[in-house]
Amino acid sequence: MTGPLIGVATVFRRELATVVRTPGYGVLAVGLLAAVGGLLAAGGGGATGFVPAIVDLLLPTEALVPLAAVVLGYRSLLADGASGELAVIRTYPVRVGEYVAGVLLARTVALVGVVGAPYAAVGVGVWLTAAPDTGIFATHTGIDSPLLYLRFLAFVLLLGAAYVSLAAAVSALAANRRSAIALGVLALVAGVLGGDLLLLRSLGAGASPATIPGSLALTPNGAFRGLVFEHVIGVAFAPEGEFIATGRAVGSLVGWTLLGAVVAGTALAYGSQVDAAIERVRSGIGD
Amino acid sequence: MPDEPVSTLSDVTRTYGGVPVLDSISLAIDPGVTAVIGPNGSGKSTLLRLLVGATAPTTGEVRHPGATGPKPIGYLPQRVPFRDGFTARETLAFYARLVGDDPDAALEQVGLADAGDRRVEALSGGMRRLLGIAQAVLGDPTLVALDEPASGLDPGMRERAFRAAAERADRDTAVVISSHALDLVDDHADRVVLLRRGGVAAAGPVGRLLDDHAVDDVSGLYRAVTAAEARTGAERSDEEGGDGDGDTGSDEEGGDGDGDTGSDEEERDGDDAEPDVHVTGVSER
Repeated sequence: MTGPLIGVATVFRRELATVVRTPGYGVLAVGLLAAVGGLLAAGGGGATGFVPAIVDLLLPTEALVPLAAVVLGYRSLLADGASGELAVIRTYPVRVGEYVAGVLLARTVALVGVVGAPYAAVGVGVWLTAAPDTGIFATHTGIDSPLLYLRFLAFVLLLGAAYVSLAAAVSALAANRRSAIALGVLALVAGVLGGDLLLLRSLGAGASPATIPGSLALTPNGAFRGLVFEHVIGVAFAPEGEFIATGRAVGSLVGWTLLGAVVAGTALAYGSQVDAAIERVRSGIGD
Repeated sequence: MPDEPVSTLSDVTRTYGGVPVLDSISLAIDPGVTAVIGPNGSGKSTLLRLLVGATAPTTGEVRHPGATGPKPIGYLPQRVPFRDGFTARETLAFYARLVGDDPDAALEQVGLADAGDRRVEALSGGMRRLLGIAQAVLGDPTLVALDEPASGLDPGMRERAFRAAAERADRDTAVVISSHALDLVDDHADRVVLLRRGGVAAAGPVGRLLDDHAVDDVSGLYRAVTAAEARTGAERSDEEGGDGDGDTGSDEEGGDGDGDTGSDEEERDGDDAEPDVHVTGVSER
């Protein structure tokens, strides 16, 4: 390994070790398993098959996964900045981009454990307990299949990765833990509810319903929901027309992930210069 | 790089909330040990943060013409910042991997070889500082900035921390140490920068400064300079007392770039408002 890869890999290892050694994240995973399992048991969809289970989980997932992702990410870049260790790290030949990439990759891997594992466990539970037989690998629409659940899981992780990245951006912008929590909650509420509210408002203002598939894809939750309808639930129930533009929805989730990373990197790279510029303005006003 | 300074600060000012903490500082950091001393709140930590790039100057410029290599700068902040949950060896291994250095050799150098498997949070304050020094010198930087490496340590540990730092200085390497341990500054420093109220009250080779002020040691220099500054400040306040609008600018006062009015100084640097309370050689921690 050379150059940037060493920086990314070294930061990644340290960050992953930090996550593994933080018991709270294990508790978060267990809590998520209990919540998802409980919701499935209460809804009854899990006893019927994968698609009914996904229908039961879809709405709670849009809140639970962003919440878990924000918990994973909201302090990821703040911790080193607040302790002063980031100032030490920056004396080493590791660029801000490498540092952010290492942290984000580790937190995304942690997301696979904290969010992906509970959802996978629930999927296995459905496979083992659901009736009628769910062991068919579907090749045609209209048939329930574990592959549909795997697709759902992939979309869950894409949604989570976007929120981890956005939460990391929040953590880079926050001045302290309290403001990180406040900003994280704000991002969560805006992400989970904001997109739908804006969509409703635009429809109320006279926008054509034909624009929904395109508009829905712009927010992380809308993109996730659209992808699940289009490629999971819709496959089983052979819908008429498209729920969402697939490329646009995937691009949206990847775009939000990249946006979070870029904002985080920019905040860390130029934070002290911005601070100094603000001080110059203050001094100018004071003179 | 025999004649080139390792780092330079040119007319550097740093403000917080519009209040200057350092005001129009110009310094050249040469190879050897430079001790930054001064009362609490005089701007020592800010100076070191500016020097290593952790803080950007509000105005002025910090350059490192003589700082070279893959890791040109080593830095130990005042509060040793390492993450809990990692052992001393793991902590150093993280940094060592970034510069291809050997963490065990670094632990050995500061006398922490036997403590390598202890978690950072289980180390004493002194051991954490030694670990911080080991981190700062990884990768053989040409500028090493250590903020209070002897703070809060017992006499033996203070000496050990200072010696470990000072041993790094050679004809190409500059070690900048901020400290209240004036006895150790006496023993190890080649040059002194004495900060007071955000300005440089005195700077230069230790021997020359002692001769200039006719004192025997750095403690005497500290007392002489701070007392002279306090007198100057008092006289200036007396002269300005009647007009009620003393903020005429330091240049007009004919001072050393540190000549704001007394009220401004107290606002920006509360600790300095009572210089007599400060006891030299005692850490602010």
